[in-house]
Formats: sequence, structure tokens, C-alpha cells
Amino acid sequence: MELLKHTSLLLWKDFLLELRRRDSLLTMFFFGTLLLFVFHFSFDLPPDRVAEMAPALLWLAFLFTGTLGLTQLFQVERENHTLEALLLSPLDRGALFLAKSCFNLLLMSLVELVVMPLFWILFNLQGWNLLPQLFLVTLLGTIGFCVLGTMMSAITLRARARELLLPLVLFPLMIPVILATIRCMENIMSAGDLGAAGSWLRLLLGFDVIFVTVGILIFDQVIES
Amino acid sequence: MPAAQPVRKRRGILGALSLVAIGIGLYWGLVIAPPDAYQGEVQRIMYLHLPSILTAYLSYFLVFIGSCMYLWKREKRDDILAHSAAEIGVLFTALTIIEGSIWGRPTWGVWWTWDARLTLTAILLLIYAGYLMLRSLIEDESRAASAAAVLGIVGFLDIPLIHMSVYWWRTLHQPPSILQPNKAPWENIAWPLLIPLLINIVAFLLLLFYLLSLRYRLGEMRDEIRMRRLEQSA
Amino acid sequence: MGHWSFVALAYGIVWSVIVVYFFFLKRRYRKAQMQLSALPSTRTIEEHEQT
Repeated sequence: MELLKHTSLLLWKDFLLELRRRDSLLTMFFFGTLLLFVFHFSFDLPPDRVAEMAPALLWLAFLFTGTLGLTQLFQVERENHTLEALLLSPLDRGALFLAKSCFNLLLMSLVELVVMPLFWILFNLQGWNLLPQLFLVTLLGTIGFCVLGTMMSAITLRARARELLLPLVLFPLMIPVILATIRCMENIMSAGDLGAAGSWLRLLLGFDVIFVTVGILIFDQVIES
Repeated sequence: MPAAQPVRKRRGILGALSLVAIGIGLYWGLVIAPPDAYQGEVQRIMYLHLPSILTAYLSYFLVFIGSCMYLWKREKRDDILAHSAAEIGVLFTALTIIEGSIWGRPTWGVWWTWDARLTLTAILLLIYAGYLMLRSLIEDESRAASAAAVLGIVGFLDIPLIHMSVYWWRTLHQPPSILQPNKAPWENIAWPLLIPLLINIVAFLLLLFYLLSLRYRLGEMRDEIRMRRLEQSA
Repeated sequence: MGHWSFVALAYGIVWSVIVVYFFFLKRRYRKAQMQLSALPSTRTIEEHEQT
């Protein structure tokens, strides 16, 4: 319970800071939308093909947008040199991990909540009733992304070429999530429900559970001033 | 501190042993073993391919162990082990991909295919090449060690998940084909082919441990150099 | 059946790479040995005292 208390404390702090400046949220939102535009011009798909490509395009957009959020994740601490203070405090570092992951999750889900309907409008897609299910699956994938991403963001804090290194180490690890999420979304869009993608969903859930646990356990070691 | 004489002698013996094993493996695989009924001589690449990938997986397991131990005990030697194993693991993974590609050309007609095995090996290469990059891009030694240890653990734990997802992806969506690149060429091995395979696996493992011991010693020396330089400037 | 050229290519590349890596490793090893002997250690005295 200590863990949860510390987590919510840290999360609330980040939330308040973001509420005031709204840097990350707005940048991520605009970047996500911009990517949709770029995809539209790049791919120039006939209307019947768009539905096939939709999950993949959406997830690509979220991946890159999320990476943007990750590089910003510890920015406040870095700018104000408050990281040492956080680490010296009696706060559980596992809580720091959970708080940062949840914060990024919050940002990304807000962006996804807006970008997905936007995608539907811009690309003239049908099946609006499927959006809640699709969003849920995306959320599960985003959890996996945020959990691994927070870990990778923390360990690359002091690396040179950090903005390049972070996606470089993160993306190969994300492949199960990418595959699982897109397959689930494809199944939902074609069959109306998960159907055959049940095992993909279980893989996704397993991934999330495993790496949340690993993250809490080793985040102690991950972050040093 | 100079390496103790017994260690160097043991390493020398290991090196000689691996050379002998490699020699036997080469001769048996290329000369004694019969060609495959369907693939012909090309099948002999298996005597490189399977040992290479096994060696790579063992290396990555050692990275995992070293990383866990380092985060637990913070002893430099575990970090040196992890780093050395990662470097050699990347070497053998790259070789595995090259061998797989060359084997694929006469067998399937293409230099590359996104079949499960080749894709998996490529992903492994990306992960651990990333590990090496991470290490080289972080200035502070101890931070680099901790960061790499995390990646070493997370990366290894991810491997089964990547396996599952890539295999499901390829087997559920691959249209049936006569060539069936997903079928491992080494399934159902006949005895005359199994012996050279086992010999070559042993040879590669011996080679792994020899290279590892060399690389490990190098890591120890580098660490010692670093410490002495720090002493001097103090 | 032919295809010995592919076998030769595979074996050739693999063993060349391994040999090159070995020599690369040896070279770094020798360089480190030289650097090590050039740097005096203030701790050798303690080592002697331990043995």
C-alpha cells in the first residue's frame, strides 16, 4: 500500500506540472495528428485498402508520438536537477517507476483518445461502433510501451545521442506488443470482435504483467543520479 | 596485475582444444558426412548454422546471468562477463544470419525471407547490438554497467515473447507454399548427419569459451587500467 | 549435385570473420597489456603483503 501511496503522490505532482505547462501533451497531440497527415500523403490508399492499413498506421503514429513523450519523461527532473532529491527521499523507487509509466500512459491515452476518431474522420472509415474495443486494445499495447519505455528512458538519461538511442533500444523489444496489438485490431475491424485473436490478447496481457513486475523490481537499479 | 600463469595456461589448452575440435568438425562435416538427399551439398551449412545460433543463445544467457548478478552484488567481474558475452553473442548472431541467408539462396531461391527463424535472429541482433551501443554511448563506467545490465535482463526476458509473437505471425499468415521455408531443414536428422552436427556444436562451444576467456581478461585489464589512471590523477 | 560454391562461401565468410575477430581481440589484448605495464600500481605493495 505504501507503493500505491507513493505512486499516486508522484503521479499527482507530474499531473499538476503538466496541467500548468501542457508542453508534452500538446506536442504529442500535434505530432500524432501531423503523422496522420504525412501518412495520408505518403500512402495515398484507395478507400477499401485504408481499413486494412488502419491499425498499422495508427500504431506507427502512436509509437513515434509515444517516443516523443518518453524523451520528455524525465525532462522536468533534469532541468531542475530534482532527480537527486527524489532519489534521496524515502520514496520507493518502484513508485517512481509506476508513477512515470502511468504519467506517460495518461498522456498517450489522451492523445489516442483524440487521434483515433480523428483518423476515422480523415480517412473516411466505417465501423464507429468498434472504436471502444479498438481503444481498449490500444490501451493494453500502450501500457506495454510505457512500461518498457520508462525503463529505457531512465537508463539512457545520461547517454550521448539519447534521442536516437532510446528508440534504438526500445523498438526491438516492443515487437511482441506491436504484432499483438495490430493483429487484435485487425481482427476487431474485420470480424467485429476479437475472434481468433484471443491468443494475441493473452500475449499482450502477459507482456504487460511481466514487465510491470520486472520494472518495479529492478527500477531501484535503473535510476541513479 | 598480470594474469596468473595457471589461468593463461588453461586458456591456452582451451584454445588448442577448440582448434582441434574445429578441425575435426570441418573435416567430418565437409568430407565424411554424406550430402543430403534433397538439398545436396548445401545442407552442410547446417554444421555452421545450428552451432552458431546455439552459441549465440548461450552467450545471451550469460549476458542475462552476468546482468542479474551485477545488479545484485555490484561486482565488476559480473559486468565484464556480461559485456564480453554480449560482444561475442553479437558476433555469432551476425554469422548465423549470414549463414541462413547463404543457405536460403539455393534452397528457397532468395537471399532473404521474413520467415520466423531469420526474422527472430535479426531481432536478436538488433537488441544486443543496441546493448553494445548503449554501453559505448554512456560515459560513466558504473552507469553504463547498470544501464546495460537492465537491458541485458529485459532483453533476455523478452526473447520468449518475441519468439511466440513472430512464430504465430508467420504460421498464421504465411500462405501455404511448396518450399515451406518455415520448416526447419534440420528436423528429423539422420544419424550420419547428426554426428558431425554434434561435433561442430562442441567445437563452437569450445570456441565460445575460449573467445570469452580472452575477452573477459581484456575487460579485466581495461578495468585495472582505468582504476590505475584514476589513482594517478587523485 | 553442385552448390559447393555456396558451401564454400558460407564456410569461407564464417571462418574469416572468426579469425579476424580473434586477431582484433588479440591486438586489443596486447595494447591493454602494454598500457597496464606502463601504469604503476600503488596497490602492488598491499598485494605483496597479502601473499
